[in-house]
Amino acid sequence: MRRRPGIGGLQNAAVARDQYRLLGENVAKLRTDLMKEQLATFRSQLEDFARKHKNDIRKNPAFRAQFHEMCAKVGVDPLASNKGFWAELLGIGDFYYELGVQIIEVCLATRPHNGGLISLDDLCKLLGQRRKAVRETISEDDCLRAISKLKVLGSGFEVITVGKRKLVRSVPTELNKDHNEILELAQAQGFVTVDEVQRRLNWSSGRATDALETLLEEGLAMIDDGHRDGKRRYWFPCVSSVSSYVGADTL
Amino acid sequence: MQKLGEFKLPNFFNYPPYFTLQPVRETREKQIQLWKELIIDFCRTQKIFVIALEVDFPLFSNAAIERSLSHEAREAFLSALVSDGRAEWMDKGHRKCLVLWHRIQDWADLIVNFVKENGLEDSVMTVEEIRSGVESRGTELHGIDRTVLMRALKVLEHKGKLAIFKGTSADDEGVKFSV
Repeated sequence: MRRRPGIGGLQNAAVARDQYRLLGENVAKLRTDLMKEQLATFRSQLEDFARKHKNDIRKNPAFRAQFHEMCAKVGVDPLASNKGFWAELLGIGDFYYELGVQIIEVCLATRPHNGGLISLDDLCKLLGQRRKAVRETISEDDCLRAISKLKVLGSGFEVITVGKRKLVRSVPTELNKDHNEILELAQAQGFVTVDEVQRRLNWSSGRATDALETLLEEGLAMIDDGHRDGKRRYWFPCVSSVSSYVGADTL
Repeated sequence: MQKLGEFKLPNFFNYPPYFTLQPVRETREKQIQLWKELIIDFCRTQKIFVIALEVDFPLFSNAAIERSLSHEAREAFLSALVSDGRAEWMDKGHRKCLVLWHRIQDWADLIVNFVKENGLEDSVMTVEEIRSGVESRGTELHGIDRTVLMRALKVLEHKGKLAIFKGTSADDEGVKFSV
């Protein structure tokens, strides 16, 4: 359109703009209404579903994991808010907050023993013992979800993968690649020796001793000089299952 | 779970590094704490009052994992109990240790309760009777170490709750209660 000078021209342009806007608003409103309707339908369906399977969701960890997966696919996070209808319906927010608090408690209680690194298996076992009274079983998936919610606290809760195992870290220790490799090696027997580290990982003795010393200082390893062969063994409570029992004693 | 007679051993007892004194302070503190609890529990249930460091003591080795505590570790754990007031060295060389799962004062309270429950408020008993007599059977006083008992009695004598008098031999010291 050619630009026309003068008051009339400006007024015309303003009127035209208003009309466009009106039209646009109408279209948008129509769309929103449609969306709202769809969302309402979806929501009521999801609510129906949740209501119908409430007990399954609360009691059955496998079912709970699948429900989460379904929610994730449609872009709903049932844990995002404790005030939403999920909380009212399922108390599912509470479920994970409670679990999160218990995870922190277990990690703190076992920290003197394992240096703040605990295997996910052990954590689940200990949580299971704590929650015996509640009768709701929990899965590793539940733990991972609860831990992911703990991250917002910024307290350094993190899940790291070492070899085939998942470890939960509750201290801000940075583990470098060397440390991870040692932990992975230790998974076989629960301990390593300096010799073994040198041989299996092809390291110099300085590198092996250095990494082991750091792990010791961080409280992640314990020494054992009692074996017949006289070689010092470095044990890692976080990868040997005994740690769950030692933790359980003190809980 | 592994057992020593009727005593249930904690699980750390099967984890080899707990038998080596740990060099890192925090880890060692935790280790000492666990051992202290174990020693006290064990002595209480087995009524053991004296631990000799150089003699085999069931807690100080675990054949199942082929580990035993070094002399240094034994001394460290018992010294920790001593500084908690739950044990006392019986000699300067730290070779023998008196374990007080009840503090002397608590033993004294137990004696007072025993006296009241049995209506012995104004009676006379020999020390040996308190340790092994019919009245104390089934109570914690039964089989109490003589040294510990004498110490507790002295505490009570000091408070005027009893008088100790000598007999003709060491075995028949008498106690006159006046609770």
